[in-house]
Amino acid sequence: MIDFFTAPLGYEFMQRALIAGLAVSAVCAVIGVFVVQRGLAFLGDGLAHACFGGIALGLYLGASVEDALWIAIPFTAAIAIGIGFVLRRTQLRGDVATGVFFSFSFALGVLLLSLRTAHDRQVDVESILFGSILAVTPKVLTVVLVVAAAALLTTIAMWSRLAYAIFDPELAAISGVPVAILEYLLLAQTAVVIVVSVKTVGVVLVSSFVVIPAASARLLGHTLAGATALALLIGTLGASVGLILSYHLDAPSGATIILVHCACFAIALLINRLRR
Amino acid sequence: MTDDIHPPAGVQSLERRRAATSLEQTRPDPSLGRVLDVDHVSITIRGRQIVEDVSFWIPKGEFVCLCGPNGAGKSTLLKAIMGLLPVSQGSIQIGGEGVAAGHHKVGYVPQRKAFDRDFPARAVDLIVAALRRKWPAKVTPEERERARKVLAKMGGERLLDRPLAGLSGGETQRVFLARAMITDPSLIILDEPTAGVDAKGRAELLELMKDISRSDELAAILVTHNLAVVGHTAERIVYLEAGKLLCWGLPHELLGQQSLTAIAFQARDHAASSIPDEE
Repeated sequence: MIDFFTAPLGYEFMQRALIAGLAVSAVCAVIGVFVVQRGLAFLGDGLAHACFGGIALGLYLGASVEDALWIAIPFTAAIAIGIGFVLRRTQLRGDVATGVFFSFSFALGVLLLSLRTAHDRQVDVESILFGSILAVTPKVLTVVLVVAAAALLTTIAMWSRLAYAIFDPELAAISGVPVAILEYLLLAQTAVVIVVSVKTVGVVLVSSFVVIPAASARLLGHTLAGATALALLIGTLGASVGLILSYHLDAPSGATIILVHCACFAIALLINRLRR
Repeated sequence: MTDDIHPPAGVQSLERRRAATSLEQTRPDPSLGRVLDVDHVSITIRGRQIVEDVSFWIPKGEFVCLCGPNGAGKSTLLKAIMGLLPVSQGSIQIGGEGVAAGHHKVGYVPQRKAFDRDFPARAVDLIVAALRRKWPAKVTPEERERARKVLAKMGGERLLDRPLAGLSGGETQRVFLARAMITDPSLIILDEPTAGVDAKGRAELLELMKDISRSDELAAILVTHNLAVVGHTAERIVYLEAGKLLCWGLPHELLGQQSLTAIAFQARDHAASSIPDEE
């Protein structure tokens, strides 16, 4: 039985994949608690597609897929802040604001990729869309770990004030919480985490890492701190089990991890129903 | 509807202003210490003047009902008192300090509870959040005991560990009242606290507000459209209309037969417009 879990880890690429999966799932789950609670579940999806636009911009400017990350990060963060600005200054709902920016960025990405000539570097669009956690290089793993650690530390540092701001912005503002700054910070941080996560799990699947563990935890947690801890547990457990399962089933890793997360959600839903 | 203190649509503001000036309006004793001093305050938002040259003050322990029709500038004025909006002219002092320094002496019970009903939180978390000025990851035994005591005073001790999502309108208001009271404020602002509460809950909240009204220490501003609530609680009434102070006096001066509101009610009987019971 132990071999079932340890045998795949005999390979270096599986070790890197596990470390990257744990880092991405942990940080996405913790941020996801606030994103879901703020009613912005669609944000992860929107920013992932905005990231596609950023990567395409980088490729158009001559960067490699790996280096295009450094253009995608500020591009996606700017899109996130734009979504925040529209949310604060208009009566539009989060999904509408996200939808507009998502469409713009994705369309821009497709347009920029189509403008590339036959002499430009070949790009595997499928790897951008669906990710390649098993192909994570030591360099990418370092970036993932640094960004995940920085994002986790920042989130822990602002947890109490951010939680109050998400609960009721007006009451938090009266208590001196800088609500607008925290909201923009959450959006920008989510953008950075999404871009880095896209390198491992792809544009299409990354939002599931943000939404599913947080949504499952919300069904089970009685307090926000409890829900955060549960989201962290579900996210990392799903990533580990999903990765090992994908090895034995010879199935795509990202998709298997998300299916395990979905199974956790189904169990959380069942427990929630039984409690009522 | 009959308890509504809205002046009717169709009654000319000038007529009410004339009626208001003819009323006797007794101000608080100037020798008393001021918990809140609103001094010639004007507030302009995006070029539109919402509050114009409003002055009144509240001594320690006085229960004031802030009344006026929708759009009178009540909520805008409250936001300025709580430091959420800047004043364009005049000044607001809380306990002798400016809003930035003094707003922690104010407890606030909002009208619309903006929180997501599915937010995973218990009553004790919300109350302790007001104490800490940030959301608690873990409540200490001392904080819990303090929250329990203040919630017990509001008649809601049993609600301490209940999820906010499962509370009724009246129970939610008790928790928000406890939240506002836990910091031992010198001024509490109650913005339409009976809105969205059933009849039984309203009666219980009214008793709680009467208790606050009897306090010699705690001053209060109650925003309400409900004449019955005003009659039961007000020690003084401040009436705003179109951003201006229309009258500021004792309840019997403003709520009597020949008063401003009586004139307004008579006129309303002839007005075709329908006015909602709560804002």
